[in-house]
Amino acid sequence: MKKIIIGVLCVALAIFSACSEDHLDIQNENTLSTGVFWQTEDDIEAGLIAVYSMFYRQGTWTRNIYPQMQGMADDGVSYAGWTELNEWTKFKYTNYNFDEVNGKMWREHFTTIYRANQVLAHIDKVEFADATHKEDLRAQTLWLRSFYYFYMTALWDNMPLILDVSSAADQPANSSPEAVFAQLETDLRTAIEALPETRDAENTARPTKGAAYALLAKVYMQWHKYAEAKTCLEWLIEGNGASIYDLMPDYGANFSNKNENNKESIYEIHFSLTHYVGFDQTDNYLDPNAQLGTQIEEVQSPKDIGWNNVEARRWLVDYYKRETTVTGEYDPRLYYTLWYDSVESDFPNRTHDIYGSGWKSEWGSRVWIKKYSTDVRPLYYWNDNNFRVLRLADMLLLYAEAENELNGPTDKAISALNKVRNRAGLADIQNSTYYKGATASKDAFREQIKIERGLELSLECVRWIDLKRWGFTTDELAKITARDPDFDNFVIGKHERMPLPQRECDNNPNLKQNENY
Amino acid sequence: MKTNTANNQTRSLFRKIQYLSVMLVFLCIGSVVASAQTTVRGSVTDENGSPLVGVSVSTDVNGKKTGTATDLDGNYSISVQGGATLTFSFIGYLDETVNPEGRTDINVSMKPDTKLLDESVVIGYGTVKKKDILGSVSTVREQALDDRTTGNVIESMRGLTSGMKITSSGQPGSNASIVIRGLGSLTNNSPLFIVDGNYGGSEVGLNVEDIESIQVLKDASSAAIYGSRAANGVVIITTKKGTKGGLKVKFDSNVELNWLPRYDLMDAETYKLYDDRAYAEAMLQGVEGVTGYQNHFEANTDWQDEMLSMGVLQNYNVSLSGGSDDIRYYTSLNRMVDDGALYGTGYDKYGFRVNTSGRKGIFEFGENFFYTRSSRDNMGSSSWSNFITMPPTIPVYDANNPGGYGYGSSDRANTYALNPVAQENINESVNDEEYMYGNIFGQINLFKDVFKAKLNLAYKSYYGITNKLRKKGNWTMGQGDDAASVSSSMAKHHDILIEHTYTFDKTFGKHDVDAMVGMSYNRFHEETRSATKLDPLTVGDKYITSINAATGTTSATGGYTESALISYLGRINYAYADKYLVQITARRDGTSKLPQGNKWGNFYSGSVGWRISSEDFFDVPAINDLKIRANYGVLGNTNIGVWDYQSTINTAPRAVLGASDKVYVGMTQSNLTNNDLVWESKTTANVGIDMTAFRSRFTVAAEWFLSKSEDLLVYLPILWTTGNEGGAPATNAGSLQNTGVELELGWNDRKGDFSYAVNLNLSHVRNKVLSLGYGQTVYYTGTSISEIGKPLGMWYLYEMDGIFQSKEEVVAHQNSEGKIIQPNALPGDIRYVDYDDDGQIASTDRHIVGSPWPWLEMGLGVNLAYKGFALNLSGYGRFGQTVFNGARATAGDFNTNQNNFNGLKPWTQENPSTTHPRIIYGDTRNSRNDQDRWLEDGSFFRFSDISLSYSLPSSLISKIGFEQIKVSVIGKNLVTFTKYSGLDPEFADGGIYTLGYDGCSFPNPRSVSFGLTFTF
Repeated sequence: MKKIIIGVLCVALAIFSACSEDHLDIQNENTLSTGVFWQTEDDIEAGLIAVYSMFYRQGTWTRNIYPQMQGMADDGVSYAGWTELNEWTKFKYTNYNFDEVNGKMWREHFTTIYRANQVLAHIDKVEFADATHKEDLRAQTLWLRSFYYFYMTALWDNMPLILDVSSAADQPANSSPEAVFAQLETDLRTAIEALPETRDAENTARPTKGAAYALLAKVYMQWHKYAEAKTCLEWLIEGNGASIYDLMPDYGANFSNKNENNKESIYEIHFSLTHYVGFDQTDNYLDPNAQLGTQIEEVQSPKDIGWNNVEARRWLVDYYKRETTVTGEYDPRLYYTLWYDSVESDFPNRTHDIYGSGWKSEWGSRVWIKKYSTDVRPLYYWNDNNFRVLRLADMLLLYAEAENELNGPTDKAISALNKVRNRAGLADIQNSTYYKGATASKDAFREQIKIERGLELSLECVRWIDLKRWGFTTDELAKITARDPDFDNFVIGKHERMPLPQRECDNNPNLKQNENY
Repeated sequence: MKTNTANNQTRSLFRKIQYLSVMLVFLCIGSVVASAQTTVRGSVTDENGSPLVGVSVSTDVNGKKTGTATDLDGNYSISVQGGATLTFSFIGYLDETVNPEGRTDINVSMKPDTKLLDESVVIGYGTVKKKDILGSVSTVREQALDDRTTGNVIESMRGLTSGMKITSSGQPGSNASIVIRGLGSLTNNSPLFIVDGNYGGSEVGLNVEDIESIQVLKDASSAAIYGSRAANGVVIITTKKGTKGGLKVKFDSNVELNWLPRYDLMDAETYKLYDDRAYAEAMLQGVEGVTGYQNHFEANTDWQDEMLSMGVLQNYNVSLSGGSDDIRYYTSLNRMVDDGALYGTGYDKYGFRVNTSGRKGIFEFGENFFYTRSSRDNMGSSSWSNFITMPPTIPVYDANNPGGYGYGSSDRANTYALNPVAQENINESVNDEEYMYGNIFGQINLFKDVFKAKLNLAYKSYYGITNKLRKKGNWTMGQGDDAASVSSSMAKHHDILIEHTYTFDKTFGKHDVDAMVGMSYNRFHEETRSATKLDPLTVGDKYITSINAATGTTSATGGYTESALISYLGRINYAYADKYLVQITARRDGTSKLPQGNKWGNFYSGSVGWRISSEDFFDVPAINDLKIRANYGVLGNTNIGVWDYQSTINTAPRAVLGASDKVYVGMTQSNLTNNDLVWESKTTANVGIDMTAFRSRFTVAAEWFLSKSEDLLVYLPILWTTGNEGGAPATNAGSLQNTGVELELGWNDRKGDFSYAVNLNLSHVRNKVLSLGYGQTVYYTGTSISEIGKPLGMWYLYEMDGIFQSKEEVVAHQNSEGKIIQPNALPGDIRYVDYDDDGQIASTDRHIVGSPWPWLEMGLGVNLAYKGFALNLSGYGRFGQTVFNGARATAGDFNTNQNNFNGLKPWTQENPSTTHPRIIYGDTRNSRNDQDRWLEDGSFFRFSDISLSYSLPSSLISKIGFEQIKVSVIGKNLVTFTKYSGLDPEFADGGIYTLGYDGCSFPNPRSVSFGLTFTF
């Protein structure tokens, strides 16, 4: 009996002692831990790639930025069957948490910021063999963070400005657009110093010095700092940039996937169909095979062909048709931008393929967006057409605008504007048979620039930013509303910006909802 | 364990004696030739000599039972055939059988039946007598489960004990969820399941027929021995062991016809009428792009008819059991086939069990083994919302669409609604699962069972594989040319438990000591793999589903998780003279889920009890047993992910940077983490009273409790401005308090052949947020708010204040400064309350408009038996909760061409309504989700089970060798009392952040089933 007891106790003791604390130390080896990362140049490079990869998100440049910015502006309109989506482009914001637009866009923009901040927080702890390379990586990161903040300002104005790596308990306060612009000025100045003037063909998605000047010029313009803007634009138009950039002879080359990274392009978001995904993929941040394309074509394609979340306002057709080219044809920009009822007869010598058919009479007077469409049939969820987010024509017109604001319609201002008109085959503005007296005064020329920008840069997510810059006075609003009845819903002092997602304001005592929401 | 065995032994000894006496009686009968009748008289008294009134006295006359009852003085008189015996029976007392042997005057003194009190209850690593329980424990016995046809253990417990909220989704083969005594944790509120000493939940597909008893440990003191895993309570399931005696064969079969409730939706003709009206309003409103009515499709589809039918569930069970003094066995085989009532769903399960146990000298040993294998045809659509969102005008099939199914079209039915038939047919998903589950144990009993050492090894292994086929074809407008694909995902896990326990149990005079120490080690390991390949090959219309046979892009994922828990545990039970009871439990847990330095937690509890009825001064004859008990304890919880405290790098980001489309690999941290997590703790105080009275016919258990959870481990959603992706990180956030009272009342009695029992349980829990995470004082989630000092998840919505009847009323709706609040409203629109009086309807106008918490939960059981007939009713109810009817919100008044319910009377100029606004297509002003219009009183009471059974008289069937033949018919969820207009008031909500939100949940099926049981 005693033996048994001793035996039992021995076994018990053995098992008790065998179960030491070591058994509780279990490491997660499904991936790297943060503790071993951010040590080498490669880690920093990979961290930066993770920032670039944010382009391929529904809340950023894969999907929702297009219908939202086009729909809010007067060049686009949404008749989407998804009522809430449709209302969000018409200043009818019922649920501020509407995830497809406000949730995704807000979330994914801030994810980009978080990723960029991680690179910036760690880059100085890593030894680089080549200091220039290090500064290039830092400059690229700063440029990307600035780029996103620029668009966030266009959407929400008063979101927080976050420059450090986040932690779970953070409750950042609102920032003002001016505070954001000031930060972007600093960051882009740093980027301009470090970024090279050109990139080789394998690195065209990385920003150049020109891209930094162009972005900074846009920032200054929104800030109404015309002199500073003009300096930046001069680098592009008259300075070193002049030998790098030029307008493409054919307007359509800017929106074709066959003429990417052309000389008019200052920065383009790169899209690819290398990763073939069989379905419309919701953002999967953990999927290494996630798609790398853009859905711009799917969201703006005609009804019953694609999603038709956004289409063009009819006034664009009328405005394009106000003038003909010096050879008596319609403005080629109309052909490259829109599909509409008389497109085939207006452009008899050009090809017309609206997803396998000509214009259908049942479409009535609706106007479909052709810009950025490709020739892939049937329409696929994504295409690989790079989005030219900064191009020279935009810069020329901004230059004209800045110069006009500073010195009135000088020759320099007029010549910059005419370059853009001439490329479309239109006569110099002074000789326009339709627009008379456009160069007569600063105000008249400003009004002309508004029209020129509207036609040259229509449906390129530029218009909303332009409208914001020009301001929404009662008079201005009446003119816009005549082109786009959505602005009937526009309340001055409220709808210049979207509401912040309500959950963010509710759960963050430091974050105030935008005024009047 | 000792008490149990000893009890069984004592019981079986008694049984032997009974058998012997019965045998003797029979022998006597056999030897005596039928003789003359004599009259026997006498009186019947209780153990104290007081007369007993109404005692049934019976005897056999020519093989027929006759009887009488005692009068007011306890006297009786009955004629007895020579040689026949007299049986005295009275509820609460042991039956007495007397052979008159020629006497004509027989006085009987009956002994109280203490069986109910001596019943032992499993409390984890041991048992106690029911009367000695100091914690809060509810028991469900085999008999109560007997007539329940459900295939799911949790569902079978519904309404049987107090303090439990059980919700099920109704999908074939799906699991139900159970919450004991309100929300204590914010991550996982499921209690710990222990099956025969092994960890495991209802997910293993346990067979209800195999269950002998279920104990629910509700408070800290009872559950403390399970330490960190027990904060939400413990459900201990004991399976059948077999009883001593020859081979017993039991066969159960059950066929259930079930059907699902339906929405009362408009047909195409009515729909068109209303939809046109919504378009007319849109044109009146000037909704952009609406210039005419829809050119409606011509079909008249009842989507519910297409998807719902009568389901047939068949359940068969055969068990073999028996045993001797040394060894006992129970084996069973089970098959369940559920052809779901919803198109494209089904469940098929096999299971078998072998339980054996034995004893040889000082050694005791045993094993429980269970294997189950199931196949589930998964639901491929979210049908219940599709029924509403799909216009009835759309045809099921439409050859013009890829795949041939009907769906929206911008001119004819402008909707992105999903065709559920197409979804089910195009997506095939079958989930095959296997569980192997069991334990073996060995025990040495020394010094006449005073000391015992037990080693228990338990193992649970799971293998599951889900195969999916996605065929070509579309189910909604705007869907692209999706690729076909095949995928296979597999998960495999195993869970090992090694435990040894040492118990000491001895009575020294009036001192009764029962002590236990032990150690337990648990390790869990899981592996997952998944592969998807596009473009499977086809032969004609048939898809080849092997992944090898697909030709497109391949993607694969795989990973593992691993965790461990080491525990040291101990418990002392001490009783003095059966009057004063004390129990102390302590446990030390170490987990791999928390960071270094925070891994270990100590948890303890103490209980005291006082059996007043054993005191000399206690002299209330009506009360058989009376006990007051109180306890206090702390439990820990780490119900979080395995590696939540470790920060990791996401290696999935990719980007293209240049001409050659080369893909670059990005790496970054995506998930934020909190690296300083600690144990969540829950402190519970409990005071209760147990009483048995009126000859054990009446039982009461009343209970008050207070529990406070601190350092709650929760995935508290964090701000999006952090840039966090992939779900909120775990954090120790705040604390929560639950207070409640529970009352269980029971009455049972017998009048001759008629017996009945009524059990009622009531519980009331109040929940209060004491603090929230990240220093927040208030936390908002979509439609609800959690504020310090208030219950969790209160409805936080815009309030509707009637309907504008005229333009004047719109103008008259002003704030205190005279600003018109809704200047754009038209007659027929909702008047919202401008709660903050700022002259506009904006986010600051939301306020608390209701509570999702019931103030009372109730379970009711009624059992009636007469001869072979038994009628059992069990009901369950919840009262006072405000719930969100997501179906009505989904219907949304035609704003995106959804269907709606019959009887809709929207506001119109001709028939102005004060309750229902006008319907407008393309405008969500009146149908917004975040308004209180969708809230309803969710109170209900439901007879969840009504069963009627008949057992053939044993005198009849014993001749053909049967012990029992029983037929039964059972109705489930057939009778419900509620004002709730949704499909089912007993819906499964979305968990802690959407309490009471019925988002078109899968309703519980109604059913009628027929059962046949025989034992021989």
